[in-house]
Amino acid sequence: MTISPVTTEIIRSALIQAAEDMNTTLIRSSYTPTIYEGKDCAVALLDREHRVLGQSSGLPIFLGNLEECTRYTEGLFGAEVWRPGDVWVLNDSYIGGTHLNDCTVYAPIYSGDTRVGFACSRAHWIDMGSKDPGGSMDSTTIYQEGLRMAPTRLVVDGREQDDVIRLIASNVRFPYETLGDMRAQIACARMGERRLSELFARYGEATIEQARAEFFAQTEKLERQRVREIPDGVYEATGWLDNDAIDLGVPLEVTVRVTVEADQMTIDLTQCAEQTIGPVNCGRSQAVSAARVGYKLLVSPTVSLNGGSFAPLEVRVRDGSMLGAREPAACQYYYSSLGMLIDLIVRALAPAMPQQVAAASYGDSMIVQFAGEDPRTGKPFVTLEATVGGWGAWEGSDGETALINNVNGSLRDLPIEVVETLYPVRVDRYEIRTESGGAGRWRGGDGVVRQYTMLADQDLSLWWERSVTPAWGLFGGRAGAAPQVVLNPGRDDERHLLKINSLRVHAGDVLRCASGGGGGYGSRD
Amino acid sequence: MTHRVAMDIGGTFTDVITYDTSTATLRAGKVLTTPGDLAEGVFAALDHIDVRYEAIDFFVHGTTQGLNALLQRRGAKVLLATSEGIGDVYRIARGNRDRLFDLHYRKPRPLVERTAIEEIGGRLGPSGDQVRPLDEAGVRRVAARVRDEGFTAVVVCLLFAYADARHERRAGEILREELGDGVLIVLSHEVAPEWREYERMSTAVLEGYTGPSVHHYLDRVEDRFAQRGLRVPVHVMQSSGGLVNADYARRHPLQTLLSGPVGGTMGSVAAARLLQRPDVICIDMGGTSFDVSLVMNYAPDVSPSGVAEGFPMLMPTINLHTVGAGGGSLAYCEAGGLRVGPESAGADPGPACYGRGGTQATVTDANCVLGRIDPDSFAGGGMGLDVDAARTALERLSAEFNLTPLELAAGICDVSNAKMAQAIRTLTVEHGREPSDFALLAFGGAGPMHAAFIATEIGVSEVIIPQNPGAFSAWGMLEADVRRDFSRQFFATGDSFDGTALTAVLDELRHEAWSALDQQGVAESERSVEHAVAMRYESQDFTLSVPLDSEDDPTQESFQPTMRQRFADLHRLRYGHASPDAPVQYITVRTTAHGLVPRCDARPDAPSGPAEPIVRDVVFQGRQMPTRITGRRELAVGARIEGPTVVHEDTATTVVPPGAVLRVDPHGFLLLTLSASEDSPR
Repeated sequence: MTISPVTTEIIRSALIQAAEDMNTTLIRSSYTPTIYEGKDCAVALLDREHRVLGQSSGLPIFLGNLEECTRYTEGLFGAEVWRPGDVWVLNDSYIGGTHLNDCTVYAPIYSGDTRVGFACSRAHWIDMGSKDPGGSMDSTTIYQEGLRMAPTRLVVDGREQDDVIRLIASNVRFPYETLGDMRAQIACARMGERRLSELFARYGEATIEQARAEFFAQTEKLERQRVREIPDGVYEATGWLDNDAIDLGVPLEVTVRVTVEADQMTIDLTQCAEQTIGPVNCGRSQAVSAARVGYKLLVSPTVSLNGGSFAPLEVRVRDGSMLGAREPAACQYYYSSLGMLIDLIVRALAPAMPQQVAAASYGDSMIVQFAGEDPRTGKPFVTLEATVGGWGAWEGSDGETALINNVNGSLRDLPIEVVETLYPVRVDRYEIRTESGGAGRWRGGDGVVRQYTMLADQDLSLWWERSVTPAWGLFGGRAGAAPQVVLNPGRDDERHLLKINSLRVHAGDVLRCASGGGGGYGSRD
Repeated sequence: MTHRVAMDIGGTFTDVITYDTSTATLRAGKVLTTPGDLAEGVFAALDHIDVRYEAIDFFVHGTTQGLNALLQRRGAKVLLATSEGIGDVYRIARGNRDRLFDLHYRKPRPLVERTAIEEIGGRLGPSGDQVRPLDEAGVRRVAARVRDEGFTAVVVCLLFAYADARHERRAGEILREELGDGVLIVLSHEVAPEWREYERMSTAVLEGYTGPSVHHYLDRVEDRFAQRGLRVPVHVMQSSGGLVNADYARRHPLQTLLSGPVGGTMGSVAAARLLQRPDVICIDMGGTSFDVSLVMNYAPDVSPSGVAEGFPMLMPTINLHTVGAGGGSLAYCEAGGLRVGPESAGADPGPACYGRGGTQATVTDANCVLGRIDPDSFAGGGMGLDVDAARTALERLSAEFNLTPLELAAGICDVSNAKMAQAIRTLTVEHGREPSDFALLAFGGAGPMHAAFIATEIGVSEVIIPQNPGAFSAWGMLEADVRRDFSRQFFATGDSFDGTALTAVLDELRHEAWSALDQQGVAESERSVEHAVAMRYESQDFTLSVPLDSEDDPTQESFQPTMRQRFADLHRLRYGHASPDAPVQYITVRTTAHGLVPRCDARPDAPSGPAEPIVRDVVFQGRQMPTRITGRRELAVGARIEGPTVVHEDTATTVVPPGAVLRVDPHGFLLLTLSASEDSPR
């Protein structure tokens, strides 16, 4: 008997809603701005075979790789390891693909005695006990980056494991916040459990299985139609990361080679640079996710995600490369190459899809971090700010000015009034960096200038990228201005910086941070 | 003989409700809105209901004046003056993206051009300490520009004005001195005395942008009231669900921005009290959108901030969740799958059954084919429906699936109901609640038709349909109280908390609240003032409002532990977990002043008596079932009817599926009790 399209649609949308409910639960109850402002998290409901039943939008670069964690756990211990009421955690960079801060929390879901799926969430914990607070910009092995957890049970049979939780608390710098976020993830798993078991109770396993097969097929069909509309061909683009933060003079190659053949697309990343000593490496699953983001931006931006998604896409990654890192590669700043490879996929496909693409954006998170002791309270503090910048123009419109980069989801900047209340710095200027967008028939958006004055001695860390490959233009549009960070501009001790780890700066010092503009589109004449 | 009158001025129609205190009866009326001059429409509506002006002793209305100015981008010409160095903050707007897979993302178009932003020298620090004095000459230069270039509003937003307003206040004095009364001057600390410069700036700009048009509108309404001998104050509904008089609304026009839609929520609060149902989900389903809001423990769900057209507002706003689902939602086939909405046929061409050239099947067409809408009495009988056109549209789509047109029609309703049920869950999950704890109140043109099915989806066993479902927002305004909100930034950690300072803030706010109620003309016996402190765990962002009671004394040692405990309890209730030992922060003190307004105590109209019984076939659970069709006016208090039944009235149709029982309560509400069976009535 075939299932009614009505039932399929109701089940499909209920699963998306279940994932949204999980996401709401996680974001509303998290303790740190990285999650509730940055939405540095993602959730998914999986079926028993680890296929995505529903996923909320979440952070784009976490697209479709949460299932690696449940699959890996099952591979390691066998399917009999799953027990009702248990909740697990994993943050291994070589499995989850990202840095140790990204902790995936997952729980098996039961309908009666039958295991029917998993609830998963991944969220950024603010500190994992790395050698510097929050994460290091100059780590050279993963052992400097903090607590690394193989699959571990946080909750057994409904009870939090005090020993494990104390182990975590004693390894991180901000235990209250970290455990708060961990519990938000447990609450999120419980929500997923409840929603999925309700659905199984209502419709039964056979109906849900039929609906699943049906809507996976719908998604696959839709995506194949879209890929087929792209002219066949081989499309390639290359960019260079500035360096790995250790060997500052050595740029690192990022090359994407996209092959479209009928309704199939291959994204080949095997030409990318070797695994390197600095913390710019990532696990293979994360490179696959980033390639999927590039694909989705152009092929299926509004199609909701499930196990049928990405069926037309094959991603090739070379083990031992920067994008397929092996132990003990450092991974703290894993995302710089990923943001670039997403932009490069768009660039590569520009000749094939000139209406859908856009010129490059300013590109990276452009992190500014202050740490030290606040003389007003005598307490230690650490800040973490990403800087907004210009986005690329496209056919028919200038690019947007002062917008957060693609790997940061829906992050908001920190208000000046919040920064100055909580930390010993003053923000003197926060303004648009005029004329930083690339010229063209359509102009790239402008970056910003944010200028700080130190009100106390403290340590400055910076992670600024894209000076070697600033935002390129398309079809004759010009590139955007490169980023520029100057310490004490106009003074004798003026210094130009982009990446630096824990540089001591003093009260009265001035830091001027100028983010890049987006690329222009089309030549002006 | 006196009348209390409420009016909800919507985009298309203006609904009026009058309550005659001598006969204790309500009457509803509907006239076309006059978009060119909303004030004119007020009088057209008053004339339509035929009440003598001198007999009106209370008048309240919800107006879309400010919202229209915003939606149509026809607001004031605003000049924005900020602290030096941050003039671009309005354009940067925190730099976030709402759509993550959109390479072509644009922020909402700013209401103030970059060239109309001026920076003024001077700077305060976070605790209000002066870093540099205000550049008064700079303020005068701004005033000169306002004069020379004909700006109609000037908005001042300086850093840390919430901590110390002296620079803003002084800038305001200079501007007033230079510009006289002809230009609206908005100071950010008066509109939103809270931190976050962009959000405060955005709020103040919205006030400057929409203010003059609301101001002008209220002037005209009051002038004409006076000309025609009406002596009662004009009351306006605020986005918070509370009333204020026109005098206050003129000075704080932004508070009225979402005036109309919140009337329904306040009506639900009133219904909750009358029916003794503390928790109610309110749904308003119209042609293109579906709005959900919550009443919890007899109070509306008010959020301390809201968003309008993508611009944040730091202002108490009833939390309305809107999704694109309505009678006009289109059904279509995508890669072999059935989809319903959010695209809508809109008003033109509208659903196929409107006979205006629409050919795609919509939710209304599905209801029409299922027999749930009486084609002759739709929209008060003024608009005959083309059932054949609806059937043709469904037949065409059903060919793409392996379904009969009737199966497809039922399926479209099911999918649409499931989506609306999910929209409700979104809101209840945010509060850590399950919908099954609530009753469901449905209004709007299409709400009562779908309510029973939506209720079953979310496990709700009781549905409430008010009288005049199409004019329920207007009725809600008649049942709302006067409300004024105050807030004060009060940043403290557990270590830096100063009980004496908090007591001083509370005294100050209580005093302000009391004099605000004076201005609103509320008798002392009808007043109440509530305080709450917005708290969070250190480094959390979302705050929870922790209520204070009259016994609380911040200078007592027990105060902090009590607050921490209350906060932890609230946190656990809402989020499922708490960290009793984690450090907390106090962020903002919020004070609400309430002034009780007399209630209507309406007697339901006497029934018109039983009419000729009409029985028609309506499709439920895939079968044609003989169904009783009743006019609402025929139903007496205490009547009890088993489903399947369809009750029609001028503005709405209530569908009672098989297995459900309908009763008419003493206040005239229709109460549907749904069977608890697992099989959902479709």
